[in-house]
Amino acid sequence: MQHLPIYPILLPMLAAIFMLLPPLSNSITRHRVFAVLVMILLVITSAFLLLSSHQHGVQVYVLGGWQPPFGITLVADRLSTMMVLLTSVLGLCAQLYACAGDDKDGMFFHPLFMFQIMGINGAFLTGDVFNLFVFFEVLLIASYALLIHGGGKQKTKANVHYVILNLVGSSIFLFALGILYGTIGSLNIEDMANKVPLLGEHEQALAKTGGLLLLVVFGLKAAMLPLHFWLPKTYAAASAPVAALFAIMTKVGIYSILRVHTTIFGEDAGALASIVIPWLWPLGLLTIVMGAIGVLASPSLRLTSANLVVVSVGTLIVAIAMEREAATSAALYYMIHSTLVTGALFLIADLVSKQRGKAEDRYVIARQMPHAKVIGIAFFIAALVVIGMPPLSGFVGKILILQAAQGVTEMVWVWPVVLISSLVCLVAISRAGTTIFWRSAGEATGDVPIPPLKLIAVALLLCTSPLLVVFGSAVTDYTDLAASQLHDRTPLIESIIEGGDE
Amino acid sequence: MNLLWVVLLPLIGTLVPLLTERFGRNACAFSVAILPAWSLILVFMYAGNIFDGEAVRQTIDWIPAIGLDLSFRLDGLSLLFLLLILGIGLLVILYARYYLSSKDSMGQFYAYLMLFMSAMVGIVISNNLIQLWMFWELTSISSFLLISFWSHKSDARKGARMALTVTGAGGLALLAGLLLIANIVDSYDLDTVLASGDLIRSHAAYPVALVLVLLGAFTKSAQFPFHFWLPHAMAAPTPVSAYLHSATMVKAGIFLMARFYPALAGTDLWFIIVSITGLITLLLGAYIALFKHDLKGLLAYSTISHLGLITLLLGLNSDLAAVAAVFHVINHAIFKASLFMAAGIIDHESGSRDMRKLNGLMKYMPYTATLAIVAALSMAGVPLLNGFLSKEMFFAETLNLSMLGSLSWLIPLLATVGAAFSVAYSLRFIHDVFFNGEPIDLPKTPKEPPRYMKVPVEILVALCLLVGIFPAFVVGDLLNVASASLLINGLPTYSLAVWHGLNIPLFMSILAMVGGITIYYNRRHLFQFQSQFDEPDAKHIFEGVIQRVVKASEYIIDLLENGSLQRYIFLLLLFTLTMAAVPLFNLTQNAGSRPQIPIDAVTITGAVLMILSAIATVVWHRRRFLALIFLSVVGLVVSLAFAHFSAPDLALTQLSVEIVTIILLLLALFFLPQSTLKESSNRRLSGDLFVAGMIGCVIGTICYAMLTTPLNTISDFFLANSKTGGGGTNVVNVILVDFRGFDTLGEITVLGIAALGIFKLIAKMRIYMPTRDDKGRAWSNDPHPMMFEMVSQSLLPLALLVSVYIFLRGHNVPGGGFIAGLITAVAIIQQYIAHGVHWIKPRVKVDYQWLIAGGILIATATGLGSWIFDKPFLSTWFDYFNLPWIGEFELASAMLFDLGVYLTVVGAVMLILANLGKLTTSERIVTKEND
Amino acid sequence: MEAMYAFCVGVLTTCGFFLVLRGRTFTVVIGLTLLSYAVNLFLFASGRLKLDGAAVLGQSAEYSDPLPQALVLTAIVIGFAMTAFVVILAMRSRADQGNDHVDGQIPEQLTNLSASDKRNG
Repeated sequence: MQHLPIYPILLPMLAAIFMLLPPLSNSITRHRVFAVLVMILLVITSAFLLLSSHQHGVQVYVLGGWQPPFGITLVADRLSTMMVLLTSVLGLCAQLYACAGDDKDGMFFHPLFMFQIMGINGAFLTGDVFNLFVFFEVLLIASYALLIHGGGKQKTKANVHYVILNLVGSSIFLFALGILYGTIGSLNIEDMANKVPLLGEHEQALAKTGGLLLLVVFGLKAAMLPLHFWLPKTYAAASAPVAALFAIMTKVGIYSILRVHTTIFGEDAGALASIVIPWLWPLGLLTIVMGAIGVLASPSLRLTSANLVVVSVGTLIVAIAMEREAATSAALYYMIHSTLVTGALFLIADLVSKQRGKAEDRYVIARQMPHAKVIGIAFFIAALVVIGMPPLSGFVGKILILQAAQGVTEMVWVWPVVLISSLVCLVAISRAGTTIFWRSAGEATGDVPIPPLKLIAVALLLCTSPLLVVFGSAVTDYTDLAASQLHDRTPLIESIIEGGDE
Repeated sequence: MNLLWVVLLPLIGTLVPLLTERFGRNACAFSVAILPAWSLILVFMYAGNIFDGEAVRQTIDWIPAIGLDLSFRLDGLSLLFLLLILGIGLLVILYARYYLSSKDSMGQFYAYLMLFMSAMVGIVISNNLIQLWMFWELTSISSFLLISFWSHKSDARKGARMALTVTGAGGLALLAGLLLIANIVDSYDLDTVLASGDLIRSHAAYPVALVLVLLGAFTKSAQFPFHFWLPHAMAAPTPVSAYLHSATMVKAGIFLMARFYPALAGTDLWFIIVSITGLITLLLGAYIALFKHDLKGLLAYSTISHLGLITLLLGLNSDLAAVAAVFHVINHAIFKASLFMAAGIIDHESGSRDMRKLNGLMKYMPYTATLAIVAALSMAGVPLLNGFLSKEMFFAETLNLSMLGSLSWLIPLLATVGAAFSVAYSLRFIHDVFFNGEPIDLPKTPKEPPRYMKVPVEILVALCLLVGIFPAFVVGDLLNVASASLLINGLPTYSLAVWHGLNIPLFMSILAMVGGITIYYNRRHLFQFQSQFDEPDAKHIFEGVIQRVVKASEYIIDLLENGSLQRYIFLLLLFTLTMAAVPLFNLTQNAGSRPQIPIDAVTITGAVLMILSAIATVVWHRRRFLALIFLSVVGLVVSLAFAHFSAPDLALTQLSVEIVTIILLLLALFFLPQSTLKESSNRRLSGDLFVAGMIGCVIGTICYAMLTTPLNTISDFFLANSKTGGGGTNVVNVILVDFRGFDTLGEITVLGIAALGIFKLIAKMRIYMPTRDDKGRAWSNDPHPMMFEMVSQSLLPLALLVSVYIFLRGHNVPGGGFIAGLITAVAIIQQYIAHGVHWIKPRVKVDYQWLIAGGILIATATGLGSWIFDKPFLSTWFDYFNLPWIGEFELASAMLFDLGVYLTVVGAVMLILANLGKLTTSERIVTKEND
Repeated sequence: MEAMYAFCVGVLTTCGFFLVLRGRTFTVVIGLTLLSYAVNLFLFASGRLKLDGAAVLGQSAEYSDPLPQALVLTAIVIGFAMTAFVVILAMRSRADQGNDHVDGQIPEQLTNLSASDKRNG
């Protein structure tokens, strides 16, 4: 059990390796069985990790026994474990969906998928900025490879944009790390947080540059305006399970902003306290606006879902900008909710396009779908969730954020933007739904069966939303604690130091 | 048994029809009716306490974080609305059983209906703001489903969307308003809110909150200017209209105003907004109703007008007016529901709703006609019918108004005019449909409907009469308790009598009657007058607006997301520049206090060489081969720089990576255009150059500032512990395989994944193979020159030996698994180049994919090994042994780890290059899967 | 020396970013490679410059900071993996789209200029 924090990284990694070696290699069936089993195991492990860090406080795993700040540490606190669990759940559903056939459209789907999960989990768990960079690269290279899964002009083109942009992003990341190490002289996030207030004036200016450059990197990952343009077409081009998994990728950026900027450049960073906040406010709000406009303009369900991701990112950034525990807690709830539902939407979009022949998931009149009813119900639920209509999780998230904004001076901006954007979503999505499901030219011809696995995957994702409401108090209590843990850093430092002195 | 069940039963009822549908229509309808009936009985059980003037409450905690509890409160007002919702709901269930055709999915219909019913019930018994809003939105959703029940019809879809959009927008406004109120009173508890009216009214945020809440109410209750959605909601099946637009949906807004009356009403702002809106709506609705040829259209606008009347009454800020409002809620619900049902019967039995065709139905359906006529008279406010009483009270109220000062006489006047018009359209409903000659080509000959289809209408019409004749006896108590929950400081004295003696209100009624009749008889002129304005179709306008918004946003998106990578990168760099430059403004002096190293000639030459070749790369970037050569020069100088500044490991690595990269780029260049023409406009070039240059300056400045700033880092620890703790003297290598071995593990994983991805890419690549370069010269026809073959073959063992040596020494002096791996790879690649794939294939029988996986596995396994000794992942172990002849040597787990690195590197590089090379031959990869 | 070093880094960065902003995949790849040189030198600089102080115990009086070197090593390897991938991706894109423009199609005003592209396929 002492090694629990590293399981979420090692498990998928080893799984991927084994799938590349005989006897598992070269058999898609064995891949599927093995991969699903591993993912279920991963979900259980992540749940355990979450519970243990929730009950016994932050778990710090010191790799190689080299105590911080010298060695690399994994920090499993409430926030990171929550993200890990979220990843595993989303991953499991996406993978189940893929097992219904999409994984055959290309090679190495399951190994790459596992590597992707490994990268994401690593990014969430690590307590070391350079190690964070390494895991960013792991999840990026895996996503590059997954994005072209299935092949086709669109994917290649989207991939070229995605890869090049992110390579530039990675080099900026390294510039930033160079600056930070060159001024602070450490890589361990907690240690950096302790050293930042002690910097001289000369170093401060430099460190600030480093911090802001990190915002660029994370903003690019999170698809924050003006770095979001790549997202819609990329996500729309990706094959459904990949797109669904990508729903968590933007959240990695958000998480990193939360982790790095709240910890290193947080309230108690002296002269460098909350350096990014003034930027986050306008950018976050504009991101919501752009996302909403995108939602209105989207000609297909995939693009709508992609733009909804942008809206959710904007909302999260705004919540972070509020820089108060209540807001962070709201952001965490909203993060869980939006990640799962956008994931579901990408899968539903795929179901739709498989059913409608040439019309695919575009908002054009077409023949009635053979299985309009079941998909329609799924879409209706997902729509309610994503618009933020009661009684599903969307409205809780929305209200949490609105309430958190009360008393903040920017409230006059936050409220209208958030409310109007959700009205826009309501308009756009109701149009989309009525067109796809009701405006039919003639009865369905022939039957396009839906593999049960796909339905199970979608159902699993959707049923999380009512659960988030029914057990709302439990979830919000948890996010409250996670938020306070993030903002009030003393317990974390102690637990690091208690490992740290030698 | 508790309040929760009142709402829970109908909610469960949502599932019932879906299950019982298969047992036939009667069974289905009956089973659906059970649960709401039960819930109605529960309400009756509570009625006792309510009439004793106490409110029943119940609270269950739910999500305290957002102030949401399951909290219920049953007082007079709730009781009244519950009776309407559940009572009329039951009648509608019975009615719908006969109305729906066999083509319609009855189960679905009833499911939606029950969902809507539970939502309404939820609204009226909520004692928690958030919960109230939750049910409020649920009504929007379920009404959307009901209106669009015939989803194949465009009207239904459009009407439903419009209703959803308008009410949804109102819902969001309401949410904002409720949150504000909750913030003012610091509680989401309705009791608290209603108790602290003064606090709210005196608070600065009151106007905003009031407007937001009223927006919610007005949109829901179709008040001007949001009234336009209601007529288009008539696309719904008539039972839905009978339910939503008489007793429930549209009354939700009224309920909201009544509910918050104690907390929000009583101010001038309230009076101005509410009463004026109500008045306008009252007149507008009444006027338009007269010109509607569609039966349901007429009823829809009359509903709007009556809702306006109730709103006006609520807006008057007088206790009696409030009582009148509540009374009219009851009456309107009763007669309007029966009228809608009657209209439905007529439509059902005659196949038309057009009053220009429907004439003289009295002959064909005398019974239904009588019922309809009574209801219509009640709508017109004829004495001895319930409509009359509330209208009298309304007139009485309009008289004792002084708010508008000297203009106060206007309100009674306008009220009378409105009343006159409602008399007129009621007359039209009666006369046009049931008398006025013979029907004109109806689809089918009208006849009486099935027996039980009339029952609901009969009950309601009976109520019209009963209330109209014995008001105090029938509804007196109900009205009292209901009004009591609006008026916290006690009820005013009023009498529910049919006859109040000769007074002005009676006179006004008579005036309205006469006026109405005159209007109706001279309607021709009015119709002509009206026909000169073309009637605007709200549906088209609304859709048009939405369309325009969509177009606009499409335009914006095309403008910004134009799919040009160059623009995206430009934006990225611009943003980067801003972020990096801004803080430098408070960087007072660039140079720090750290002593600097003097410049020497050698370094200068190196630097100049590097700069020149970098620039050359840029200048000749369109002549790609040339650019590549300059690039490699830069790479060489970089590795020299590393060597110069005492980083031998880096130098070696950079060098070997350099070689492999260049081979790779050369291979790629073979498949890509050798050169391209200038295609960027000078404007773009200068722009790009500027941004790139600026970033270069910023980075350079930072670099200089950083280099000249003293720094104490955590590195001393590594220097101190490298030998003792890591068992190696080459600190860099020890850091890689031990202190930060986890990074290295990730790094080789990246390499492995990249190889897999590239394999994936190549596998599906069907690329054109140029036979001659862009100057038209054919590529050499002797790919494997003799000399080269000999040399490279003899070089192979040497190269392998070198890599083994580099590998072994790595831990203590520059070297290590990575470099060794690259050297091996290069050596093998050389064989490929020299002999070609065909020669290698039978000789090298390694699956590179396994090599990669194996490598990472070994590295990971090494890390896992430490678990056996109960140490954390990647804890290393080393020891020194003494063997005869060989002498002392060291064994370290780090070596095993490094072996993993070595294998991965070899595997990855080979997987990439070998397969890439294969592209040029017939040995392209063919895969089992269609990749 | 430091100034010169910083200047070189600046120049490399400029050249790298400028080439990354070009419209053809291969040029962009070259730009990225230049950029990675700049990045590595910069990251290396975060440990400050030191002559003949290789971080090999017992070989020099005082040692240069070994940590940035290790980081740069990792960066180099990852950079190599990325470059390899993007190069092949460039080829794949050429194969799928028929041209080597980063957007998969040559903007209208350039189609007349893209003769060389035609000649190579």
